[in-house]
Amino acid sequence: MLVLSRRVGESIVIGDEVTVTVLEVRGDVVRIGIDAPRSVSVNRAELLAALESSNQAAASPSDDAVSSLAKALRGSGPSST
Amino acid sequence: MIAHVTRPVDAGSAAPDLPVIEMVHALPGFPQARQFALVELDDAGLLSALQSVDHPDLRFLVVPPHTFFPDYAPVVDDEVVAELGVTSAEEVQLLVILTAGESLAATTANLLAPVLINTSNRRALQVILDDNAFSVSTPLVA
Repeated sequence: MLVLSRRVGESIVIGDEVTVTVLEVRGDVVRIGIDAPRSVSVNRAELLAALESSNQAAASPSDDAVSSLAKALRGSGPSST
Repeated sequence: MIAHVTRPVDAGSAAPDLPVIEMVHALPGFPQARQFALVELDDAGLLSALQSVDHPDLRFLVVPPHTFFPDYAPVVDDEVVAELGVTSAEEVQLLVILTAGESLAATTANLLAPVLINTSNRRALQVILDDNAFSVSTPLVA
């Protein structure tokens, strides 16, 4: 891993299109600004990991699970619109 | 840079038939699946499946959230709107992915990362909301 020291207001340029700027340091919290094109998705690592796990848990439920859920939902009869 | 102007997503609009939906970015955890079909699984139009076109074994259960979470009104930033090519709120269909449990009570919905579909151009995106009030596993029924 490349390790660089930066002060508040200083930036790092990644490739041609991504700039990461240290905006503020307060205690153990660092605020970072990221300028990147839309094609580059920027996410908090732990959120992305949680979402990957959630998607993997949700993927491809068994036919049994689907049919019992469909039945339960029919039974519960959504009333709000 | 940080969150810009935001706009609410219409949670109530019904969608016309959607043949093939193209994910602008792959669903996290499934980088290889970009094309899905939205298949209705019940007559009420409540439960549907996002069925992968390229990987027939891959599907996700989805529901429109407003039936279960009437107050759920996710806000997305302008970049999402631009990526989907959305020009009006009416053309956006909002869905949440379910994780089916042993029973209805054990089934959860991912409110942190809803799926937005632009019904006009069939571009879709799983959006990670910048709001820690939402969870990836919210019980579908209280």
